[in-house]
Amino acid sequence: MPLHDISYQHWDGSHLGIWRRRLVIARAGVAACLQIRGMRHMVVMCWFAALLMATLLFLVGQLLVADSVVVLWAGNLNPQLQTFVRLLTTWLEQHPEISVRTTQNILFHYFGIYLLPISIFALGTAIPLLVTRDLASNAIIIYSSKALNRGDYLLGKFSTAFGLLSLTWLGPVCAAWFAGNLVAPDWRFFWHSRAALGHTLVFGLATLVVLSLLALGVSSLSSKEKSTPVFWYLWWILGGVVAPIAAHTQPWLRHVSFNYNLDQLALAIFRPAEDIRIAQENIPLLGDMLKNIPAETLAALSAPPLIGASIGLGLMLLLAVTIVNRKVKPE
Amino acid sequence: MLPPLIIETKDLSKVYGEQRALDGVNLQVAPGAIGLLGPNGAGKSTFMKCLLQLHPITSGSARLLGREVGREGREIRKRVGYTPEQDCHIPGMVGCEYATYCAQLSGLPFQAARQRAHEMLDFVGMGQERYRKIDTYSTGMKQRLKLAQAIVHDPEIVFLDEPTNGLDPRGQAQILELIQSLWRKYGITVVLSSHLLQDVDSICDQIIIIARGKVLVHDTLENLKARRRGAAEVVVAERHQELQAACGKEGWACELLPNGHLKVEHKCDSLNPLLKVLDRLKLAPLEIMPSPNALEETFVQALELSHAAA
Repeated sequence: MPLHDISYQHWDGSHLGIWRRRLVIARAGVAACLQIRGMRHMVVMCWFAALLMATLLFLVGQLLVADSVVVLWAGNLNPQLQTFVRLLTTWLEQHPEISVRTTQNILFHYFGIYLLPISIFALGTAIPLLVTRDLASNAIIIYSSKALNRGDYLLGKFSTAFGLLSLTWLGPVCAAWFAGNLVAPDWRFFWHSRAALGHTLVFGLATLVVLSLLALGVSSLSSKEKSTPVFWYLWWILGGVVAPIAAHTQPWLRHVSFNYNLDQLALAIFRPAEDIRIAQENIPLLGDMLKNIPAETLAALSAPPLIGASIGLGLMLLLAVTIVNRKVKPE
Repeated sequence: MLPPLIIETKDLSKVYGEQRALDGVNLQVAPGAIGLLGPNGAGKSTFMKCLLQLHPITSGSARLLGREVGREGREIRKRVGYTPEQDCHIPGMVGCEYATYCAQLSGLPFQAARQRAHEMLDFVGMGQERYRKIDTYSTGMKQRLKLAQAIVHDPEIVFLDEPTNGLDPRGQAQILELIQSLWRKYGITVVLSSHLLQDVDSICDQIIIIARGKVLVHDTLENLKARRRGAAEVVVAERHQELQAACGKEGWACELLPNGHLKVEHKCDSLNPLLKVLDRLKLAPLEIMPSPNALEETFVQALELSHAAA
């Protein structure tokens, strides 16, 4: 029996604002996702990748310092390699703005692209926790009976997906940029690499919005917890299989893959073809090596089908919003 | 001075496809313990859901706590609690975590939410089971938790949809006692929806009987119980015709029922005039059954309407 008074007590404090209440939903959602052991492993994996990226940036930064650790290592490995590195270092020291901007832009483009699948997989694991479980347990009635409306609930759930993706993708990418430049030999690295950060943020935020909305749509498709992740993974994998095949038969069919569309968006934002051209024209030795890239590849990199990708993503988002609108109701 | 109205509806209607779940409901309800009585499918839950804006109103208007339903949904629900009929917990959460979360959703800061969650779980009589996952709870525990989440943010009015469903008699009595205390001790208006007359009869002071989406009656329990039709069934062993003739002389309609009872429409507030007639005839009745009061009679009428519709 409790020792304190168990009679009803009135409460007369002040209420939280609507944004704080939405944040409560998002925070509870992310916390529920992190209770899954696999999810925690994926988060750790993403942050470990960020650490590796920061290490790589440290090594790249060392190329801008005469007699740096990298030059010494190269000398120990191979005297010819040491000569190559010394030559490169001398040039890079004279043109830090080009070398830092170009290198980091390319590196962050590929880092973002290669880290994204882990986030998409993590999102698939979290999909039942977004809306599916609430549909199954009628919890939406409880949300709707509180000082919230359907929009607040959906915004909270959208923020859950957004938060999870920030934790597994945008957060590690931005942290890698910050840590990599923090250990760089010169503070000017932060300034010279601003384009890489800007592109990462633009691409990252667009991707987070798209993936979060798509995940919300897939999560609303059914009230069966085992079904919705299957829909998500099937869509992702089938899209990944269809896109390269369709490139030679029905190019428009590539746009059924959200991953393909996001890749094209990344190409349009990061513009790696431009960086490769700058490197080819300006950076000795490395530029010569880049001249071996086939012209078709360069053409594909410089002119991604942005309109098709935008229409594809737009239609997917429209479908997701329609599904959410039809399925997510108190009863 | 009259107390302010807590619920006001004007021609409130709700239509699902071709079915009219609510049909022009007009009500003006003062604070209290209000029983919403009616058979299954009468429109009780729909009425509550329309007031809470869980379902949009088809036509008419409604005001709850002086605010227009449909325009100020969030503000209204900040001051309202609701326990739905069906289970609707959030899977994976433990009891106290769920109650805290519900308090936060209603706008309480975390510390206050956690404290109130524990207070309300104590209030509804939940012990250490609050630290267990809700998925493992019995029906009784789930009903208690539902009540706790409905009052955790200290609402002014709480809607309880069939809160005793699935409970054993002891559990029912405990939950009803708690609900009763909300209005009588703490001044929280209670709207209790039930298809069980005895639930409503035991704790409510106002009764609304609904059948087929229409309000059949809205009055205080006291008035409804006091109101009788002035009729009785008399069971006598012999001299039926003599009694019928005596009643006829008094101007009362008297009918011999198939079960042998005599139904006398004496039109009086008490049975005394009928007893006097029996005394005059030196006739000892085996049993006299007064007509049911208005509460019972209207409830039976609601049931009949519902069966006719089915």
